[in-house]
Amino acid sequence: MSSEFLLEIGTEELPSSFVTHALRSMHASAVELVGQARLGTDSLEVHTMGTPRRLALRLRGLAPSQPDRDETIAGPPWSAAFDADGAPKKAASGFAKKHGVAVEDLQKQTTDKGDYVSVQVHEAGRATREVLADILPQLCQRITFPRSMRWGPGEIAFGRPIHWIVSLLGSDVIGFEFAGVQAGRATRGHRFLAPESFDLDAADYYEAALEGAHVLVDLDRRKARMMEGLLASAESLGGVLERDAFLADECLSLVEEPFTVPGSFDESFLELPDAVVVSVMRDHQRYFAVRESEGGALVPAYLNVVNTAEDPQTIAKGNDRVLRARLADARFFVEEDRKAPLADRLEKLESVVFQSKLGTMGAKVRRLQANARALAERSEADRDACVEAARLCKADLETLIVYEFPELQGEMGRWYALREGIDPAVADAIRDHYRPQGADDVVPDQRVGAVVAVADRIDTLVGCFGIGLIPTGSADPFALRRAALGIIRIALEGPVDVDLRQLIDQAYGAYAGDAKLAPADDVRASLDDFFRGRIRAMLKDSYGGDVVDACLGAWDGSSLRDLQTRIEAVSELGSAPEFEALAVAFKRAFNITKESARGPIDQALLEAGAESALAERFGTVRDQIREATGQRRYADALRLVAKELGAPIDRFFDEVFVMVDDARVRENRLRLLGEIADTVNGIAHFHQLGTKLQRRDPSVSA
Amino acid sequence: MTFQELILALERFWAEHGCLIVQPYNSEVGGGTFNPHTFMRTIGPEPWNVAYVEPSRRPTDGRYGENPNRLQQFHQYQVILKPSPLDIQELYLESLRALGTDPSHHDIRFIEDDWESPTLGAWGLGWQVWLDGLEISQFTYFQQCGGIDCKPVSGELTYGLERIAMYLQDVDDVYELKWAPGIRYGELYKRAEWEWSTYNFEQADTDLQKKLFEEYEKQVAALLGLSDKKGKGGALRFDREPLERLVLPAYDAVIKCSHYFNVLDARGAISVTERQLYIGRVRLLARAAAESWYAQREALGFPLLDTAAAAQ
Repeated sequence: MSSEFLLEIGTEELPSSFVTHALRSMHASAVELVGQARLGTDSLEVHTMGTPRRLALRLRGLAPSQPDRDETIAGPPWSAAFDADGAPKKAASGFAKKHGVAVEDLQKQTTDKGDYVSVQVHEAGRATREVLADILPQLCQRITFPRSMRWGPGEIAFGRPIHWIVSLLGSDVIGFEFAGVQAGRATRGHRFLAPESFDLDAADYYEAALEGAHVLVDLDRRKARMMEGLLASAESLGGVLERDAFLADECLSLVEEPFTVPGSFDESFLELPDAVVVSVMRDHQRYFAVRESEGGALVPAYLNVVNTAEDPQTIAKGNDRVLRARLADARFFVEEDRKAPLADRLEKLESVVFQSKLGTMGAKVRRLQANARALAERSEADRDACVEAARLCKADLETLIVYEFPELQGEMGRWYALREGIDPAVADAIRDHYRPQGADDVVPDQRVGAVVAVADRIDTLVGCFGIGLIPTGSADPFALRRAALGIIRIALEGPVDVDLRQLIDQAYGAYAGDAKLAPADDVRASLDDFFRGRIRAMLKDSYGGDVVDACLGAWDGSSLRDLQTRIEAVSELGSAPEFEALAVAFKRAFNITKESARGPIDQALLEAGAESALAERFGTVRDQIREATGQRRYADALRLVAKELGAPIDRFFDEVFVMVDDARVRENRLRLLGEIADTVNGIAHFHQLGTKLQRRDPSVSA
Repeated sequence: MTFQELILALERFWAEHGCLIVQPYNSEVGGGTFNPHTFMRTIGPEPWNVAYVEPSRRPTDGRYGENPNRLQQFHQYQVILKPSPLDIQELYLESLRALGTDPSHHDIRFIEDDWESPTLGAWGLGWQVWLDGLEISQFTYFQQCGGIDCKPVSGELTYGLERIAMYLQDVDDVYELKWAPGIRYGELYKRAEWEWSTYNFEQADTDLQKKLFEEYEKQVAALLGLSDKKGKGGALRFDREPLERLVLPAYDAVIKCSHYFNVLDARGAISVTERQLYIGRVRLLARAAAESWYAQREALGFPLLDTAAAAQ
């Protein structure tokens, strides 16, 4: 069993986002460097740990030394190294000298490209401690940070200045120097609770020794301790903790040993919207909120994760004071904002830039109203409410409270609107039109909100595409992918369908007079492409890429729900037992008729048996299939296809040879198959389907 | 501890730790960084340790004397340690002890806060220091100043004096602070806050400010001999030799430009796009002054390097 290795880099306080970033790069570099140095074994364990003041790496299962290495090194061509008599030339002696062997030891290596000189080299493996001393400076150098800095007179850049380095293999120091600091065995504890430097006897005492010095270096352990403290404190306040994963990670990276200090604020501040109180506490002060029950009212108290708690009263008193001032500020903003109705802010939006080539927010709001009106007229949404919500949905951007807390946009607009006595459907839409914010967020559940949400996103999409701001690779500064996905999800999961073609044309038309966009056909084409790409990306995991492609192929790019109905119908058929044979048959029908001309079928030319049976059956159900397709009853249409045409078409391909010499018979046959293929293709492009469809798992939603 | 005792305690502490104690700059500045004792001296290889109070103006932060926490003029205590010593955090914490605050009885945190002054072409990495949830200081390792890489790096400590005093005196309203026995902060500054807020937000003559900005901008170019033409890679070109340039008067004019820009901004007289243009213009001037200062010190042979060597 080999010894454990420990590296600890002691720094000044690293920003919370830096710690996880640095540990990730430290882990990856360690794996790579240990591998390259041939020190890895099957039982190698690489573990990183960290706090704001230290980045640590533990290696277990290192080889005790490098294995020896025998290597054949190829040199110059044989003819360049030896003359015809076999006497060595300069190239031979030079190559031998370079590798420390005699000319007589050189060997001939025969390859496809001719004979070469080669040499067998034996390299004895070095002791792990020697190899580590070589690779550790590189390891330190390779740790990356979102932003690095220099300090003092030094040239090396790191996340924050380095103060000490511990480097121990078992109980031995592996000495090296980095950033002017000599690695040793001296570490430090908590900045305030155990400030003295102390020596570590061996690597495997590390975590326990630091715990004794008030440092919980393992992130998971520290988090568990922090959460325990928070939950217990919330309970002792008679409430429940408001969970907040982002805040928890942030707080965790600010402390070496977490303590919870509760504090309180005056109950009168609870008259403010909950969202404001929580934002003040969270964004400005990094406090956790406490509620009376899950989802219940806020308690006038907060929980503060701190690094020391020698004197909790003093800490709470100071924090209470700061929070009081912050909440008083917020109350001032809300009171000021309420002195004028939301609509008064519209004028200010006229001087706020939406995008330099697309004009002001004021103009955007006017376009939103036009878009919302058109959308409402085509859905069952209340038209006046939609237009009013579109008019007011951006007004809160000009309130003091949203200027201070941008993440409260929409939320505050709704709150102010309700207090002005505005129709709650309009007020809700002011908040909901920002939904969904991301993949995890819900879509608006009411029509008005959904309409305004779509109106807003399509305006941004058409405008940006119209001036060439089309996302490429990972660059998507206007979050256009998210905007398109939002529209798709609202149509598929929300209360209104979206006709994309009409929507794009409407939004394009609304820009008239506001901005000069690329020609409508170009914008329409590139957006159609973009939406198809988004739809595919969103649905392929649930339905399979081939099903989505098959339906996209038959879809005309208008109603999103129409597309969804097709996809569901094809997917459902895909799970039927007769599907595979059916798919193969229609694929054949399509492929064979791809190039052939269509036209009326001459009954007289049909061969008795399989061909006339197929023609007859098709003649009977064709109109029913087309009618069901036209009425978007794709499942019905596909059922008809499967039930009525499945057996006849199989039989046809079994018994009938299509490409006969008689041109008239051949063409007639192709016309029959072509018409069948076209009819089925109106539902979905079967030739794009794989024969084994991914079965849809009903528990996975799109 | 009164406000003036707080200042005296910091002056004494940093004087004892090797800082030169100097006086505020006699022009309108947005913070201690604008003072040439910081802006100029953090450029180039020469060591420099200095501390001073800086009354700092932020026109947009004015609240007519009605907000207990926000002021259009407040006081910073500025410390520069160049090169930044490895024990700079310890020194800072010790200075808090000198103010009667024992860090181990409070919650002291170093919270990431990267600092940037777009007009000065300066940026650095560091922290806000929190004392029981209250931001009391800015702590910055200067990486660039006037567009020039800082080598060595300076450590900058900026104490927010009003906030610290409010904490120490346990008051919630800045105007209630005791500046000295018998005189409150409000007596000194409440009326001033109202007058300056009214001026900055309502009455400042915007045409005049714009004109002054432009005149001082020309003045900077004239005093430095700054050429309209740029060299390779956008390098600045000067028609005057380093020692013929009037760097300090020119820099004074840069500060004026920055201030007039701030007033125009507070007056709402600048659109979003114009705003970026103004910032770019001031940054160019600051860079010209910074490069000229560097060239001058270089021409003089960086005299403080010798002094530092002699001291060792």
